[in-house]
Amino acid sequence: MNTTTAPTIAPRRRRRLELNASLVVGVVLTIGFLVIAIVSFFWLPSNPNIPNIKNRMLPPGTVDHWLGTDGLGRDIIAQLMVGARTSILVGAGGATISLILGTVAGLVAAAYGKIADETISRGADIMLSIPGMVTALVLAATMGSGALTTIFALTAFFTPSFTRVIRSAAMSVLQEDFITSAKLYGRGKLFILARHVIPNIAGVMIVQFTLYFAAGILTEAGLSYLGVGVTRPSISWGMMLNEAQQTVGISSPLAMWPGLAIVIVVLGLNLLGDGLRDVLDPKLKRRS
Amino acid sequence: MAIYALRKLAFFLGAVFVASLAIFILIRAAGGNVAAIVLGKDATAEAINALAHAYGLDQPLPVQYFNWVTNMLQGDLGQSFRTKESVADLVTARLSVSVPLALSGLLLGLIIAIPVGTYAARNVGKPSGAVLALISQIGIAVPVFWAGILLSVLFGVKLGWLPTGGWIDWRESPIGAIRSLVLPVLSLGLIMAAVLIRYVRSAVLDVMNQDYVRTARAVGMTRTQALLSVGLRNAALPIVTIVGLQIAELIGGTVIIEMVFSLPGLSRMILANVAAREVIVVQSTVMLIIIFVIFVNFAVDLLYGVLDPRVRNAA
Repeated sequence: MNTTTAPTIAPRRRRRLELNASLVVGVVLTIGFLVIAIVSFFWLPSNPNIPNIKNRMLPPGTVDHWLGTDGLGRDIIAQLMVGARTSILVGAGGATISLILGTVAGLVAAAYGKIADETISRGADIMLSIPGMVTALVLAATMGSGALTTIFALTAFFTPSFTRVIRSAAMSVLQEDFITSAKLYGRGKLFILARHVIPNIAGVMIVQFTLYFAAGILTEAGLSYLGVGVTRPSISWGMMLNEAQQTVGISSPLAMWPGLAIVIVVLGLNLLGDGLRDVLDPKLKRRS
Repeated sequence: MAIYALRKLAFFLGAVFVASLAIFILIRAAGGNVAAIVLGKDATAEAINALAHAYGLDQPLPVQYFNWVTNMLQGDLGQSFRTKESVADLVTARLSVSVPLALSGLLLGLIIAIPVGTYAARNVGKPSGAVLALISQIGIAVPVFWAGILLSVLFGVKLGWLPTGGWIDWRESPIGAIRSLVLPVLSLGLIMAAVLIRYVRSAVLDVMNQDYVRTARAVGMTRTQALLSVGLRNAALPIVTIVGLQIAELIGGTVIIEMVFSLPGLSRMILANVAAREVIVVQSTVMLIIIFVIFVNFAVDLLYGVLDPRVRNAA
C-alpha cells in the first residue's frame, strides 16, 4: 500500500487513461442510441407495422431498404428505430421508478433506526432471492403483456438492489463530520437527508441508474423474445428476434440486426456507467 | 456458529413464507373465475361449481392460501385441473431437461471464468488484461437468447454438427439427449462466464493487494505461488457468494434458453400452464423453484460461515 511511490503512481495513471476511454465510447454509443430514438418520432424510412407482401424478404443493401425487409415486407431499419424507443421507455422507465423507490427505502433504512433498517434490508434480501425471469413470466401472463407490465416487473427486480446500494452509500455519508455539525446546528433529519446526503450520493445514483438502464433493456428484450413483453404496434428488438426465428429461421440476417442493436446499446450504457463511476466516485470499487 | 446458523435458518424460513404469499397473491390477483376459464365456454354452471368445489376454489382466498401451504408442507403439491396429473410428476418429468442444462451451464461458466478472471487480474494494466476485460464487457451485453441463436446458426445450420433445437429423451438415446444439450449449455455457460469473469477478476485483484500476499512474497514465494497458496483460498469466499447470487440469473437464463432450443423443460411447462390458467400447477411449480433458489443462498451463507470465522462472528 504505502511502499515506494513510483510503482503506485505509474499503474494508476495508465488506469485512468483506460477508464476515460470507456467513458468516451460509452457517451458516443449512448448519444447515438438516444438520437436514433428521437429521430424515429419525426422521420422513419417507412411504416414499420404495415405489411407489404410485394417487398417481402428483400436482402440487405436494397435501395430504400438498406437492411432489407422481414417476412411481411416491413422495413428493418424502421423497426429497429422504433424498437429503440421501446428500449428507452421500458429500460429507463424501470430504472427511474426503481431509483426513486430504492432511494426512499435506502435513505429510510440508513437514517431511521435499527428496526426500519432490519425490516427494509431483510425485505430486500428476500426479494433478491426470487428469480426475476420466472416471476415476470407469471406476471405477464396474469396482468397481460405490454410495456407497462414489463416496467412493473423491472421495478420489482431492481428496487431491492437500488435500496441496498443507496443504503450503504447513505450510511457512509451519515458518518461524516459535517453531518454531526448539521445535527448540532439543530437541523432536522429530513433537511439533512435532502441537503447533505442526497447531493453526496448523487454520483452513486447516476451510475446505478445507467447500469440498470442497460440491465432493463436486456431483460425487456428477453421477455419480448419469450412473447410476454411488449406487443405490436409497439416494437421491441427482442420481439423482432422472436419473429425472425418463427417465420424465416435463425440463419437469416433478420436474426442478426436486432441482436447487434441490443449488444451495442447495452455495451454503450455499461461502459458509460463504468466510466462515470470512476469520474464521479473514485472511492467506490468496481463491481458487477 | 450455532447462532449464526440459526439466524440464517430463520431468514430462510421467513423468505420462503414471504415468497409464498407474494406468489399466491400475484397469481390470484388476476382474478376471474378460474374454474370457468378452465372448463371453457360451453361448460354448465353445475360443472363449473363442481370443479370449483372439488379444488376448494370456492373458498375465501386466505383459506385457499392456508390449504395450499399446509398441503405443500405435507408433500402434496396439488394436481392439474384438466389432466389430473400431480404437480410432483409434472415437475420431475421436466427436471431431466432443466437440471442438466442449468448445472452444466453454471459449471462451464465457472470453468471458463476462474482461470480467465485470475489471468485478467494478474495482467491488469497490460494489453492482454484490457482485452479480456473488453471481451467480458461485450459478453455481458449479449442477450443469452441471441448467443443461442448465433451458436445454432454456426454449429447447427452452417456446419450441421449439432441439432438447432428439439429434444431426444435420455431413455431413447443418451447420446441424442447430450447432443441436444450441447448448444444450449454452451450459450448459457459462455454468457455466465462473461458475467463471472468480472467478479473473479475483482475478487483476485482485491486479494492481490492484501498484506498476506505481500508477506507470502516477502518470504520468498513467487507471485504465482503466493496467489495459489493464500490468494485463491481467500478469493474463493466472494466467488462462492457471487455464485449463490447468480443462481437466480442462471434460472432466468435457463428459462430463455429452453425456449430458444425448444427444449421440453420446466419453463415451457410453466408457460403452457399459465396460459391454461392451471393456477395450482403454476403456483406450486414456481414456489418449488423459488424455494430451491432461497435454499441455495442459505447453503452458501452457511458455507461462508464455515469457511470464514470473521463472517460468523460479526453476526
